[in-house]
Amino acid sequence: MSDIIQAKPFSLTEALDREAMASMAPSQAELMEELRVKPKPGWTSRLPPSLAAFVTNPKGMAGVVILLALVLFSVFGPMMSDYNPNRRAGKPHVAPGYEHVLGTTRMGKDVFTQLAYGGRISLTVGFGAGIAAALIGLAIGISAGYFGGRVDDVLTFFVNVILVLPGLPLIIVIATLVEQASPLVIGVVLALTGWGWPARTIRTQTLTLRTREFVLSAELMGERKWRIVLKEIFPNMLSFFVGGLVLGTIAAILAEAALEFIGLGDPNAVTWGTMLFWAQSNMALQSGAWWEIWPPAFAIMVTGAALVLVNFAVDEITNPQLKAGRKISLIRKFLKRRGRSADVF
Amino acid sequence: MVFLLRRLAFYVAALFVAITLNFFIPRLMPGDPSARIIASFQGRLNEAQVEAIRKSYGLTGSLWEQYVTYLGSVARLDFGISTVQFPEPTASLLFYGATWTLVLVGIAIFFAFIIGSMMGIHAAWNRGRFFDSVFTPINVMLNAFTPAVVALLLFYAFSLQLKWFPLGRAHDPSLMPGFDLQFIGSVLYHATLPVLSIFLVSFGGWHLGMRNVMINLLNEDFVILARAKGLSDRRVRYRYVARNAILPQITSLALSVGFLLGGALVTEQVFNYPGLGKFTFTAIQSRDFSFIQGQLLLLTMSVLVANLLSDIANVILDPRLRKG
Repeated sequence: MSDIIQAKPFSLTEALDREAMASMAPSQAELMEELRVKPKPGWTSRLPPSLAAFVTNPKGMAGVVILLALVLFSVFGPMMSDYNPNRRAGKPHVAPGYEHVLGTTRMGKDVFTQLAYGGRISLTVGFGAGIAAALIGLAIGISAGYFGGRVDDVLTFFVNVILVLPGLPLIIVIATLVEQASPLVIGVVLALTGWGWPARTIRTQTLTLRTREFVLSAELMGERKWRIVLKEIFPNMLSFFVGGLVLGTIAAILAEAALEFIGLGDPNAVTWGTMLFWAQSNMALQSGAWWEIWPPAFAIMVTGAALVLVNFAVDEITNPQLKAGRKISLIRKFLKRRGRSADVF
Repeated sequence: MVFLLRRLAFYVAALFVAITLNFFIPRLMPGDPSARIIASFQGRLNEAQVEAIRKSYGLTGSLWEQYVTYLGSVARLDFGISTVQFPEPTASLLFYGATWTLVLVGIAIFFAFIIGSMMGIHAAWNRGRFFDSVFTPINVMLNAFTPAVVALLLFYAFSLQLKWFPLGRAHDPSLMPGFDLQFIGSVLYHATLPVLSIFLVSFGGWHLGMRNVMINLLNEDFVILARAKGLSDRRVRYRYVARNAILPQITSLALSVGFLLGGALVTEQVFNYPGLGKFTFTAIQSRDFSFIQGQLLLLTMSVLVANLLSDIANVILDPRLRKG
């Protein structure tokens, strides 16, 4: 091989070019290393692009892992405990220890058992209401955006009304009237009042999609409207739908906790919110029984934080400029090292 | 002007929907509010007395007559008689509580909006750097911690353990309300923790909103032109980008008023603060429907007023709306 290269006639310009190229443009591998861009793992290439973007997003995956841990805890936690969450399991206000991992409440109920059982209901209500609200928002948002005209006017009016009606006070009115709202009732009410934001974002997105070529071509081919909505528009709406779902779930979990905390829930149901309610009305803090109040409070906080992490990832998928923002300081440093103006912004 | 009139028409319509909802919800539920009162007398009431109670709740006559009567009383801001603090009209209780809630939520929104937006501007301008990658997630996570939990944490740490702040009330009970330094100082001292807890759960939203809108604007042509003209960073940041990014923020500020007032209900409950939330809590326990319905209407009205104000602010800040 080497003698073939030597055999080539020597060209000064070519050599200079080659040298200039070597100093100016590094190979792609070098660039990728310097910008800390990792090659995509093989298995993600088989996923749809938005899902692949999600599983390679560290924030989003951290959130998913935490949520999975919470779900596993509330599914299998009750099996690790011999106590009944509604029955007296020991003396009142026993500090955490061997018998009771997280201590007992003033009624002598085991906090660990209640926490695990409560997770089942709280997470179900939160996710259930979040999914339902996102589905209602999706249906209304797509219809308003796609059909336009009179339909849009009427639907947008209701979206705006539900957005200006203060959620919690409205739920308080309904929950007071049904007397001791069960978790199911709370979930239904939250779903019925929480679809405003997803409907609004999905409507805006549908409006921009409606005039795109692929929708027009489907229309020209004589596709039926519901098929266009389902096959052409909905798949492009998936990340907005997931975003609405995550935000709706956060809102539902917070609102459920708030409602039960102020005593509107069914006090006999075991949820994180009612645990806080009982701890507060039994003056757990004032009597020094911190273990009665912090486990449910901590569980709600961790759930909220995990959902926020997932939402960050979804935001970066729906709005790619946000993701570019994450890389920009690396690009700045890179340019500076190569002596180029670092005026990127 | 056309824009403002159109918005105004919408708010009137929305208020009408809220009033109608408020009228129909109790009537759609099994057992009307008066049934509970009547049942508590265990049949010791005669026909006329039952009728009088039902009348005081506006439950006599046809549905249409009831509705018209209800609209009339709402127009006169007559929300009925409170059953908890008996002869007191609900309206005066509502307005007393609302004053204190407004103190809390007003101060908290003011600081949350300004500090959150400034942080968002800073994070967007230096995106990907230390401040953005550490504080943006933390601030937004704070946003997802329930008001109840944050309030409990603060109450536990600063009122119970360190005893820096009082255990309740809006001001020192020995002081006469008035516009003197001592009274205002006492009010601020008592409001510190509730305001802080509302602030903590809300400023992250402004941070994230401002940051995301700013980042999208930074790549717009007008920003590149402004930089190409050699304007100072400061000027581009505040007069060009932030000024445009603040418009959607103002709209969502108005929409969030309802959410914040709802959160204040819980905060007041924890800090034993005599605002709307504290009264709502007692009203819930004693099933005082006139109060609970009144608070919904009052809060809806305040959200609508906030929205109208935000529309006016938008018209002032955005010349495009003035032409339209």
